[in-house]
Amino acid sequence: MAGGVAAWLPFARAAAIGWMPVASAPMPIPPKDKRKSQEGLIILNVSGTKFQTWKNTLERYPDTLLGSTERDFFFHEETNEYFFDRDPDIFRHILNFYRTGKLHYPRQECISAYDEELAFFGIIPEIIGDCCYEEYKDRRRENAERLQDDEEMDQSNDTTPVNLTPREYLWRAFENPHTSTLALVFYYVTGFFIAISVMANVVETVPCGLMPNRSKELSCGDRYALAFFCLDTACVMIFTFEYLLRLVAAPCRFKFMKSVMSVIDVVAIMPYYIGLVMTDNDQVSGAFVTLRVFRVFRIFKFSRHSAGLRILGYTLKSCASELGFLLFSLTMAIIIFATVMFYAEKGSTASKFTSIPAAFWYTIVTMTTLGYGDMVPKTIVGKVFGSICSLSGVLVIALPVPVIVSNFSRIYHQSQRAEKRRAQRKSRVAKIRAAKIRGTNAYMRYKHSGVMDSVEEASKEAGKLLVSKATSPPFESQHHHLLHCLEKTTNHEFVDEQTFQTNCMEISMMNKAGSRSSSLASSPRLSSCCSRRHRKKSSFSLPSTNNQELSTIQIRERPVVNSRSSLNARLNDDGGMTLKCDASYITPSMVTLSPPAVTSSGGGDGPTGSITYSQSNIVRVSAL
Amino acid sequence: MDGEEQSDSSLRAIAIVVLCCGAVKMLHLMGVISVEDKVDDDLEMTMVCHRPEGLGQLEALTNFNKRELQVLYRGFKNECPSGVVNEDTFKQIYSQFFPHGDASPYAHYLFNAFDTEHSGSIKFEDFVMALSILLRGSVREKLQWTFNLYDINHDGYINKEEMTDIVRAIYDMMGKYTYPALKNDSHKQHVEAFFRKMDKNRDGVVTLDEFILSCQEDENIMRSLQLFENVI
Repeated sequence: MAGGVAAWLPFARAAAIGWMPVASAPMPIPPKDKRKSQEGLIILNVSGTKFQTWKNTLERYPDTLLGSTERDFFFHEETNEYFFDRDPDIFRHILNFYRTGKLHYPRQECISAYDEELAFFGIIPEIIGDCCYEEYKDRRRENAERLQDDEEMDQSNDTTPVNLTPREYLWRAFENPHTSTLALVFYYVTGFFIAISVMANVVETVPCGLMPNRSKELSCGDRYALAFFCLDTACVMIFTFEYLLRLVAAPCRFKFMKSVMSVIDVVAIMPYYIGLVMTDNDQVSGAFVTLRVFRVFRIFKFSRHSAGLRILGYTLKSCASELGFLLFSLTMAIIIFATVMFYAEKGSTASKFTSIPAAFWYTIVTMTTLGYGDMVPKTIVGKVFGSICSLSGVLVIALPVPVIVSNFSRIYHQSQRAEKRRAQRKSRVAKIRAAKIRGTNAYMRYKHSGVMDSVEEASKEAGKLLVSKATSPPFESQHHHLLHCLEKTTNHEFVDEQTFQTNCMEISMMNKAGSRSSSLASSPRLSSCCSRRHRKKSSFSLPSTNNQELSTIQIRERPVVNSRSSLNARLNDDGGMTLKCDASYITPSMVTLSPPAVTSSGGGDGPTGSITYSQSNIVRVSAL
Repeated sequence: MDGEEQSDSSLRAIAIVVLCCGAVKMLHLMGVISVEDKVDDDLEMTMVCHRPEGLGQLEALTNFNKRELQVLYRGFKNECPSGVVNEDTFKQIYSQFFPHGDASPYAHYLFNAFDTEHSGSIKFEDFVMALSILLRGSVREKLQWTFNLYDINHDGYINKEEMTDIVRAIYDMMGKYTYPALKNDSHKQHVEAFFRKMDKNRDGVVTLDEFILSCQEDENIMRSLQLFENVI
């Protein structure tokens, strides 16, 4: 509150001496100023950029990080300064806040980065000075809208068709025609029929040639009345059907019925039904003719098909105040000029300006620079004011138009950006996914190298070292160790997505294939979740069960992980691991030979074990 | 004929209107009358800058040492970069310390007390000399300064009206929400009590000597005068 003028507190306290003689009660004891050494410089090292200020400056705002004892956590003894590992550019503004009492928002900074810094240093954004507050709020709102857009898109993309009820599915098909071919077909069909209907309305009124025995020109609508009626009926049937479907599918029917599009739909089809009801009654035929005018509203149904049209409508709605101003100023000008013209032309003979309302027409035509010429002033005064009228008309109309145009441009660009973001999203998501996969693959590679460390010597001897251990930084190695611990805890292993999918497919295929290696299958350690049958159907082929020789176990389409897992299993003497296709990880079944003779030690008297693996999913495990 | 007369009269009316507008515009162009506000003049005032005397001189004039003067000047300059405080800024700064009520009346009297030369603005020297008296001065000096504060018209006497104004200004700083609630004549009673204590010869005014004598007799006042000695 008074932090900005904290330097003047001594003065305010001194001035309090003026109250003393007036005071009737004794004064309270002043607080002891314990910290005498407050007069000193503080060094704030923010990512290498050194800031210095008086200690008092920081003490002005004791409920922030720098003003409270919280800054002691950042004290660096060796250099006797306070070190913050944050952005020095934004810190500059934060320090200025302490100095001047005003927080400014730099335009070139990202709004979320700025917010984060403020949150870190314990400063609430509401104290941003008036000069920068508007800009800050605008940027924040924009950012929030963008995030919300992204979230909505996420949600809309995440719902898989499987989980939707038919009603939701229908609604989704209506709202996003691109989700299914049926929806797309329906979309184009309705668009086609809207066009047909509108064109029929137009062509109906074209004169089609003379009827025999009559001198009057007939319009096409009267000549081919039946054909047009059938066409109209067909269109209205389709529109009604569509409207009813939408009504059924809408999640909130009341809200749907209130929406603009549904009103347009109703207005488009109502005249037909009313016409059906009222054909016999001649009295209301005039009203009936008027109703036919409403059929032209069908053209507004195109706004579902065109984003530009929607944007135009939205712009007009958002510019309502500018349009209102335009209308109001025009009305004022029209009344003024019509009055002046009327009185100016009153004297001239045979003047068309019979009354002020009659002069309205002249004024409007002149101000919009139409100039039909059906009403022209004849007196000199009339002509003078007529010219003033047309000049001012240009100005009055030209003023609000740029505002509307800029609004339209802003909204249009916003929607363009939204479209672009949506298109970019897919590639972005794909890239993020790829990065994730690389991360998990890194773990796989670590596992390869880490576990096979001990057998490296053996492989080296055999000269078949195919895997080189990558040196990873301590952070990564600790992370991998953590993942390894998790694997051990749950007795399952991590694999990548592709291998998992292929495994699932392969398992299902194996269901159909014949059984193999029942001897192996009978191993008690082998099991799978899909069904017991799978054990028999797993494609192991053991050319020889000779323990002394190199035996090849070919596991089709299994990840490399198998070999290691078997090794691991050996080392830990684990139980059987289960194969679950619907889980995100896969644990291959363990294969144990009898007697299980795969060891990890390189020692021994002769038998060499070579463990090779290749990405082609053929694993050779040496049996020792 | 009628038509012509009517068109003539309308022509005359329009001509009169046009003439009036032209006359106003001409007068404005000639500078006799000003139609728009002259905002530009205000800007010139704020460009005035004042630098105080040297640190050594100020140290000699006041009872502060160099370090204290440095601290004071830094705070002063921060708030008033031009080197002088005008009354509005003064009121604004003082009001920030008393957000509950309205500190402007009292700040006005304070300003007049600080501005010994009545120039309308306080320079740093005035500021620091007044502070020197208030914080490091002798008892007599302090009491004299306070007397000058109360004596609004500087005639050497404090009468009831002046004291009422001062006390009301002090009460204004309290604001509305007090306990017990402020009544309309709370300050009047306070003034009466003050005069009963200070006005020795009951002549309705308090002179400087009466004031100093009465204050020296009161223990509370003496003690409270020493309250703010270690403020800097």
